[in-house]
Amino acid sequence: MTANKDRLARLPLWLSLAFLALFVLIPLGVLAFETLYGQDGFTLDAWRALAEDENAKEQLLASLRLGFAATAISALLGGGHAWLTVARDLPGRSWLGPLGVAPLVIPPIFLAMGFSDLVKDVAGFWPCAILLGVAHAPFVAVLTARGLRSIDGRAYESALLLRGRSRADRWLLRSITPELVAGCLLAFLFTVADHGVPEFLTVKGKTWHTYAEGIFSRWSRRAVGTTHAELQSPIVAALPFLAGLGCLLWAALRLRASSPDRGVVRALPVQPLGKMRWPALLLPVTYIGAGVVVPVTVLTRWVLGSAQRRDPMGLEYARASFAKAMDQGLPDLMHSLYLGLAVAGVVVLLAIPLARQSARRWPLLELLTSLPAAMPAILLGIALIRTFNSNPGLGWTNFDFYESWGFAACGYAARFLPFAALTLASQVRRQSLAAEEAGRFVHRSASARAIRLHIWPLMPAAWSAFVLSFVLALRELDLAVMLPAANATAVRRLANAVHFQHEDWSGVIALLLLSAAVLLPLLPSIVAGRKLSSLS
Amino acid sequence: MTLAVSIHQLQCSRGQFRLGPVDLQVPAGARVAIVGPSGSGKTTLLRCLAGLQRPEAGVIRIGELVVDEGDTHLAPAERHLGLVFQDGALWPHMNALQHLRFAAPKLSKQAALELLERGGILAQKKKKPGAMSGGEAQRLGLLRALAPAPEVLLLDEPLRSVDVHQRDDLVLLLRGMCDERNITSILVTHDRDEALALADYLVVMRDGQVVEEGPSINLLKAPKTAFTAAFLRGAACLSAEDIGDGQVRTPLGDFALPDPGLAGEDVRLVVFPGEATVADDGDGPEVQVLAITPDEDGGLRVRVACDNQILIARTQSPPAKATTRLNLASEPRLLPWHHHLKERRS
Repeated sequence: MTANKDRLARLPLWLSLAFLALFVLIPLGVLAFETLYGQDGFTLDAWRALAEDENAKEQLLASLRLGFAATAISALLGGGHAWLTVARDLPGRSWLGPLGVAPLVIPPIFLAMGFSDLVKDVAGFWPCAILLGVAHAPFVAVLTARGLRSIDGRAYESALLLRGRSRADRWLLRSITPELVAGCLLAFLFTVADHGVPEFLTVKGKTWHTYAEGIFSRWSRRAVGTTHAELQSPIVAALPFLAGLGCLLWAALRLRASSPDRGVVRALPVQPLGKMRWPALLLPVTYIGAGVVVPVTVLTRWVLGSAQRRDPMGLEYARASFAKAMDQGLPDLMHSLYLGLAVAGVVVLLAIPLARQSARRWPLLELLTSLPAAMPAILLGIALIRTFNSNPGLGWTNFDFYESWGFAACGYAARFLPFAALTLASQVRRQSLAAEEAGRFVHRSASARAIRLHIWPLMPAAWSAFVLSFVLALRELDLAVMLPAANATAVRRLANAVHFQHEDWSGVIALLLLSAAVLLPLLPSIVAGRKLSSLS
Repeated sequence: MTLAVSIHQLQCSRGQFRLGPVDLQVPAGARVAIVGPSGSGKTTLLRCLAGLQRPEAGVIRIGELVVDEGDTHLAPAERHLGLVFQDGALWPHMNALQHLRFAAPKLSKQAALELLERGGILAQKKKKPGAMSGGEAQRLGLLRALAPAPEVLLLDEPLRSVDVHQRDDLVLLLRGMCDERNITSILVTHDRDEALALADYLVVMRDGQVVEEGPSINLLKAPKTAFTAAFLRGAACLSAEDIGDGQVRTPLGDFALPDPGLAGEDVRLVVFPGEATVADDGDGPEVQVLAITPDEDGGLRVRVACDNQILIARTQSPPAKATTRLNLASEPRLLPWHHHLKERRS
């Protein structure tokens, strides 16, 4: 009986592992296999052609350059924001701090749309790098702030007394390096994986392409006579690229997780900025202004009618925009919200057993779980399509899994599983092992012990993971382009709608989408009165 | 004699460390302390007993129940024992009452409240560990272990996280509750005072082996090894070099070995605190004075450094200089460093 109950308690882990295998490992394996051995195969000649393909090299270099440039901007904005709001006496730091996470809820494509509207002919490399840098700076801001909060203020004060402020600050910077590196790597990965923003910004007179764009463009041209080798070449080259990135991501996150658990610490003493106190506001104002205020203002102006010339801008037009949005975009918005909630729920349920297992027993599992974070979403989409397009095993039913929302939800869940699993694994590592051992003396079933002693204390971290997955699912454009059922999400529709002068109702849907994304993380603050700073 | 715990030829590894083989028999109702310095294997032994670690060889019985032997390895919850962890190891999200009710599903709410009252923390029933003092948290840890009515209670340095003022209260509570319920207790600690406060029978361990065991009064009065004397009574164990003819040379002079069988063994001259004297005009070796404190009987206690050890000597008048002369004021006590090495060799 006990043995049966123990097996039952392991069921969630087996389900999570099965999911990981089915939606991450097998699709990647299928992609690798088909790429190298499928149809006419990928021969040595094809390898040579790939090595000599200037186009592929340029795309790879463009991706790397874009990644480094955007990450430098993210580090400057996100890291600077965290530093100023946690360690310095910046005016309004208590409310500016939590706002550092706000740009995360704005899909990068909305940022691109906003700036395109504001600045004429915004195109090319640097605008793209700046926008992606701003869009992904929250990763650096959140992790750096967390690193700074985990430093014992007494240690900093000792350094301050012994070596002076500049040396103490250098020591502080070294202490938070793991968090800073992890944040920068996440920003880099999201930048090189993004195909939506570079495509949107360079749609007219396109002169350069990123790697993710290259993969997508060859994939979308697969029916018009491209050879197998031509089609596969960017995918083949992307495999070692993503393996390298996966290892880097894993190493950075392990570094962060293994940095000494500073336990109960005294808060870092806030140092005065002196004459720079007010001028320093420029950085958070620029960051939040570019990341939140500009896109929201532009979207609001669209709703009020800025993009048309027939009627005057105003509330009257806004009402009409709202009515049109309800008529044309409401189903897409609801699909997005339902998908986001489903994905977040699935991700958290799957991540809890994976996080516990990787934190307590199999550290290597973390690497496998991190894989989807390291690859361009486009590539994951191709892998999922290759694996599930023929509906293996479901041919005897009338149910078309490939076309269903379930498939889209699973694809999204596979994409965002690493973020939830890593968040939760980090929390598991902070929990007392002795307290868990104490639970082994309790005369209760393994399931009861797991729920009360292992899962219950993870709830705050699980909520954070839920919110993060929900927000990421709402802003996801790359997978939305690939997976059939996700084509109808609001972000995907809006990215197309603006090309057809539907800015008015698109703005309404976008603002409603952003409201939903903001409301969920704010819920605990509204309902339970939790401090706003807990958001970051 | 009914045995509460019986350990036979237990062996276990933890990284590079090897425990055993260890044999130990604990009578029902006894209060035993396993003592030794860090790395002596006492915690590994406790974890094997608790079922938190699987031994490589040997047999463990708790009462009549074989809990470890060959393929048999019962889970901690099936061993009828409780464990009080070093720092409480409480569940941070549960309050005191929830701790007891979760630990013992059959315990009624009324019984849980009575237990909290007996433990002196009824007022904290709704408090979570984070809101409790170190003493309160450790009391809760004890009550949680006792809630399912175990036959044997394992204690892993239970007084470590408790401040000095609350220690006596916790000691009285622990002893009282174990006596009321006739529970056998096995304590693991490296703190001599904690061991003497909570146990009547001591097991001294070193390098994964039992060095010596017996009633605490016997071990304190007449330790059989220099290691036990040093560990339990803070004796200085000075080097003793074998110079032949049954004689050894020590920093305090040459002495005859009490037992010819000790020839060639690692023997030490054991000097208990107060068994040596210092005098500026003495004929012993010159030693460095570290500190002088008043004695209970009107004299002075002088800490001196001798043979790289700190030795507590008596004197009537304080030394005039930073150095003085040390003399042995009692019969020389020459003991083997520890027994088991010789036994292992044989």
